[in-house]
Amino acid sequence: MTSLCSVFRDESKLDINYIPAELPHREREQRLLEEFFSFILQCPGRMTQRVILVGDVGTGKTALAQSFGADLTSQTKRKNLKFHYIHINCREFRGSLQPILHKIVTAFRSNYPARGYAADEILSTLMQVLDEEETTLIVTLDEFDSLIEKEGSDAVYKLTRIHETRQGKPQRLSFIFIMRDLKATEQLDDSTKSTLQRNIIRLERYGKPQLIDILNARVALAFRLGAVEEDVVDLVAELAYLETGNARFGIELLWRAGKYADASEFSHVRAECIRSAVSAILPTLRRSDLASLGFHEKLFLLAIARYFKENQEAYVQIGEAEKAYKVICEEYDESPKSHTQIWTYVQYLSKLGILKAEVVAAETRGRTNRLSLPSIPAFELEQEMQFSLQKEKGEP
Amino acid sequence: MELEVVLSSKPRLKILKLIYTLGQLNVSDVGRRINMNYTATSGHIKVLESEGLLELRTYGRVRMYRFSSSAKAQAVAGLIEAWEKQSP
Repeated sequence: MTSLCSVFRDESKLDINYIPAELPHREREQRLLEEFFSFILQCPGRMTQRVILVGDVGTGKTALAQSFGADLTSQTKRKNLKFHYIHINCREFRGSLQPILHKIVTAFRSNYPARGYAADEILSTLMQVLDEEETTLIVTLDEFDSLIEKEGSDAVYKLTRIHETRQGKPQRLSFIFIMRDLKATEQLDDSTKSTLQRNIIRLERYGKPQLIDILNARVALAFRLGAVEEDVVDLVAELAYLETGNARFGIELLWRAGKYADASEFSHVRAECIRSAVSAILPTLRRSDLASLGFHEKLFLLAIARYFKENQEAYVQIGEAEKAYKVICEEYDESPKSHTQIWTYVQYLSKLGILKAEVVAAETRGRTNRLSLPSIPAFELEQEMQFSLQKEKGEP
Repeated sequence: MELEVVLSSKPRLKILKLIYTLGQLNVSDVGRRINMNYTATSGHIKVLESEGLLELRTYGRVRMYRFSSSAKAQAVAGLIEAWEKQSP
């Protein structure tokens, strides 16, 4: 539930099952899908189609198919055409064809017996039901790889060639197959492959600017005005980009960070909330990595952790980080290392994934490096470093 | 068969109500839901079918019964609907 002082306006807009009205940066793919299935509006029953959507996790395959299905359903309703769209995740049925087909049939005949009938029988029942209802149907089989792995060529062949046994009858059943890559299709026999791989739409990974657009669109729907600042969205986009351009990961991160902000009674989502959210989603940083660092590397990390804890910012410029490091050196009675040495620490810590360094244009002129903590909350890092430094100094 | 004979059977009324509510069912499913064995259920369904209240749809080996489109069937459906609406 969203409380009165929550950062959320409508957190359901960040739910994994929410399909937004607009899918930013997938317009071309959506148009292509519309072109492939335009016959459903123009000459339903005359032909069928099979399309494969391929793309990495979080590239919008499921959202694209569902959004297309919803659009086509409303268009056919306006034209008084009988049409149904069914979306099924094959993995939910462990890739077995029989329960998948049963699920499709029960969308029309809800009491169709679940057991005792083979996939072939259910498939011919489905065709009979579609004839009775005089409707066309697009079935999207999400995570189609699992069906290929479980059932092999025969099942795919049956699905894609069902109309060949129905010469002279209306063509009613089309498919959209969703896969992460085409590797699974390599195990299919040649004839099955040839019917399957005619229309392939590839969804490329999102770039960082695209992720920013997607996240901004969701922020506008899900959060109160001003609850998520630009640099926070930027940080989430960066993390999602590192996670193979996974928009779903970014959206989940936003939701989780919102929850952390609410729990801490913050008026807006801070970079700190994002870090807490990341450490909850990703495996946390390995302690052995932190323990193996040198004394001054730990001092430098402690300085950065303190900086982020005190300043609610997503990034720190390397000059600012060095100043904070000098203060920490004073606290621990150590002489600070030179800039060049600090730069070596930054590179090593980036390699370990503890810090993230990137070159940006400086405010006045030239370029500078800015640092962020991509995957560990500042307060956790501070505690860890303090504990480790005390141990090394032999303090209780 | 006389109207009073067809509708004076409690199981037959139960079957009509069930199929009216759920749309289409096979004999086993009807029997399970009204707690009656297959043979008895099938016998009652045959009576209702022969009186034109129910009709059979066959999908391969699957045989499912539903309300027919006859005037008698529609009148019974109307009765069930009115009755169920008034029930508390």
